[in-house]
Amino acid sequence: MEAQWGQPLNKDSHSAVAVALDAAERHGADGESTRGFKPSWELAAVAALIVIGVLALPWLKPGYRTLSFALTTGVTAIVLYGMAIPFGQAGIMSLGYAGLMGFGAYTAAILSRDFGMNMWQAMPFSAIVAAVFAGLFGLPSLRISGHHFAITTYVMCELLRIVLTNGGKFTGAATGLDLPPIGTVLGINMDKLANAYLLVAVFMLASILVAYLIGRSSYGRTLRSIRENEQLARSVGINTNLHKVVAFMVSGLFAGVGGNLQAYNYRHISPDLYGGSISLNFALMVMLGGARTIFGPLTGAVIVTFLPEVMRIDPVDSRIAYGLALIAVIMLLPGGVIAVTERVYRRLTETVIATRRVGPSHAGSSSARGD
Amino acid sequence: MVTFIQELVNSLSVASVIILMGIGVTLIFGLTGIINFAHGEFLMLGGIGVWVLVSNGLGYIPALLISVALVGLLGFLLERGLFQFTLLRPNNGFMASLGLSIVLQHVVIRIWNSFSKSIPEPLPGVWEIGQIRFIKMRVVVVVVTAIVVAVTFFTISRSRYGLALRASLADRQTAALMGIPIRRYITVIFAYGSAIAGLGGALTIALFPITPFVGSEMIMLGFAVSLIAGLGNVAGVVGAGLILGLVNGMSGAYGTPEWTNAYSFGLMIVILIFRPQGLFGGTMGPAIE
Amino acid sequence: MTVLEVSGIRKQFGGVVALAGIDVTIKSDEILGVIGPNGSGKTTLFNTVCGIYRPDAGRVRWNGEDITAKAAFQIGRLGIGRTFQQAMSFPALSVRENVQIAMEHGSRRGEGAIRPWSSPEELLAFVGLEGFADESANAMPFGNLRRLGIAVALGGRPSQLLLDEPAAGLNEAESAELVQLFRRVHQLGVGVCLIDHHVGMMAELCGNLIVLNFGNKIADGPTDTILRDAKVIEVYLGAQS
Repeated sequence: MEAQWGQPLNKDSHSAVAVALDAAERHGADGESTRGFKPSWELAAVAALIVIGVLALPWLKPGYRTLSFALTTGVTAIVLYGMAIPFGQAGIMSLGYAGLMGFGAYTAAILSRDFGMNMWQAMPFSAIVAAVFAGLFGLPSLRISGHHFAITTYVMCELLRIVLTNGGKFTGAATGLDLPPIGTVLGINMDKLANAYLLVAVFMLASILVAYLIGRSSYGRTLRSIRENEQLARSVGINTNLHKVVAFMVSGLFAGVGGNLQAYNYRHISPDLYGGSISLNFALMVMLGGARTIFGPLTGAVIVTFLPEVMRIDPVDSRIAYGLALIAVIMLLPGGVIAVTERVYRRLTETVIATRRVGPSHAGSSSARGD
Repeated sequence: MVTFIQELVNSLSVASVIILMGIGVTLIFGLTGIINFAHGEFLMLGGIGVWVLVSNGLGYIPALLISVALVGLLGFLLERGLFQFTLLRPNNGFMASLGLSIVLQHVVIRIWNSFSKSIPEPLPGVWEIGQIRFIKMRVVVVVVTAIVVAVTFFTISRSRYGLALRASLADRQTAALMGIPIRRYITVIFAYGSAIAGLGGALTIALFPITPFVGSEMIMLGFAVSLIAGLGNVAGVVGAGLILGLVNGMSGAYGTPEWTNAYSFGLMIVILIFRPQGLFGGTMGPAIE
Repeated sequence: MTVLEVSGIRKQFGGVVALAGIDVTIKSDEILGVIGPNGSGKTTLFNTVCGIYRPDAGRVRWNGEDITAKAAFQIGRLGIGRTFQQAMSFPALSVRENVQIAMEHGSRRGEGAIRPWSSPEELLAFVGLEGFADESANAMPFGNLRRLGIAVALGGRPSQLLLDEPAAGLNEAESAELVQLFRRVHQLGVGVCLIDHHVGMMAELCGNLIVLNFGNKIADGPTDTILRDAKVIEVYLGAQS
């Protein structure tokens, strides 16, 4: 009896099976990546390659279509890096991010229409409005957890879409709103797609850097403690409720900036860009790449955006292939593409090291399990 | 007043379809922990199946039976072939179901097209009682739903099978030690829930035309009713389904159809925040402090 | 010295009375043991003190301040550290991070003794986990997981530790090592209060014992006296042998 009273609150206790299997999962294939972003020369090398690759893209003459896909990927990735803070670090999945992006985008459009603000002037407002609503969207997480919360946020997104659609002149109803061009930034004309892409790319790289720094910081550690064991986190004095809401608000800043950039690059926004199904797609990208890895969200965004494009088949066939590919990746690579790649890489290097050394080390594995 | 009662009556058939959707979700999500976003596609397939068979000259009733059986079989195969591997990682199951939803939807569009499909009314005509008109087919839908609900409810709550099922949910390990075949239960629940969704679709197409996209909308109502009711609570789904059916009917009748889903979703959010265990108490509410 | 005073605490779960209104005083200059049969309310007592449960009646005072209504994290910040029956940790994180998290939060008042460790590694060495810092918590053997739980609790700079069955699931040698560890913790000026079923260990370690049965306190006093008490032998020790 007493043992039951002391049970930890389980995140997935909506289902007996999930609870019972949870322990098994915890001891499952969680890689190094779950502990925050450890610096290493490999990480630095990959980071350098990504920075060079992303910034060099326009000079590779990718064609208009590819470049605009890349721009979309960049905008999406900004939102995904925000989403990865509560999801990857604190372990709370929200499906509200398309909606939060929508707050950023509509804020930008309305401020431009009613107050003549340009992109830069509107950006702080986009970020703050999205952050405030991110906090509001996150509030139910104090009461409900796991998939209940995820579905609640999905529904909030759908609510927002309905409100935007029925918002009359203020939100432009189903047709949406138009925005002026970005104009020039530091004397560079943003009407040229390559320049607009580079602007987004810089924001995206910055958001990866910020996400990395958060993951490395003691704040990231605090969030991970909530993910790993909320009750223990509380017992050492962590105000878990406050940290959850703050994590959501921080992620909302990313979504707001992403929404602002999206609005100014598309120059036309409508409610359908910010509904629940778009949010689901974001969740897919993050999970596909791996929410707990630093390059996971970017990888997921690239795969999901470019996969149908690369296959270049009839749109319906491409959707079917996409769905099947998705199922295959999830079944074959649980934990995300990056985590699996990382594990394979580590196994390869370990084999190399092990053959160089005289046998593998057994640090700490000799202690017997008491009973 | 007559309009009101008329709308009330009409809402019942909409509520029925929502309830059939909700029962599958509440059983599968609530009892096995599988979050299947493709559950709505089962409803769509049930309807499309009837459409295909009826178009090929079959009667409505045999078409319904075959279609429901096929959807149940599909559910069985998908549980065996896909979802049983994701029981350990519900998030992955959730993602796989999104992929599955896309595949099922577009396979239907690929074979036929994305236009809405309808069949001739299987049971035309109305019964009139006083000033209230009962469309016959709608009454049939309500009656069939009532039977399904009753059977499901008594199986889950009264039979030995249901008892073993609930025991296995309360304590999976002990149940396994007692020789309760949990894996098989999960498969059966999944296939049964899928078939019920198929039935929902097969009944829907007798009332309204459906498109290959109907599943995405229905699945949210399915989640909404099962969460409003409290997960795993079959009787609660009926209550919640009636509420949402009424909300649907009334907002349609009184001039704000574009806000219909907003009312349902808003209700769901409010209830989840203030009563996380659902309106009627789930067998398995989420963790609360 | 700090004093944790529990007065008239009552807690009921549905129809089950877990605590029937009990008074307990825990002083940091003693090692106090709480014993009793399963279901006697020991863990509920800890959980109520730590703000996990809100009592139906009664007060909890910490150095005279009423902390009954405080949340679990606020209690952690006051300097009351605890471990859990299930040997909790932050499983997927490294052992170092586990301790770091506690050291970065925990007590904010700096009450009690100055801790002799300034880094996670030193604290890990103190509890006997040197060399494990880079392991995953969930990769460690059970005995080490128990120690990690204590290290996490100590990382929060507590002036009072509440240990819930710290030796459960450990063998004799491991329990003996824990006894030494608790003595060292106590020498630092940290109050130690523990629940355990190892009567031998409790007799060796604790100066005073409290005995609970069905949510009531049936005995309270110096260990020697308690272990000879007829009522205690009847309800608890008798059942043990």
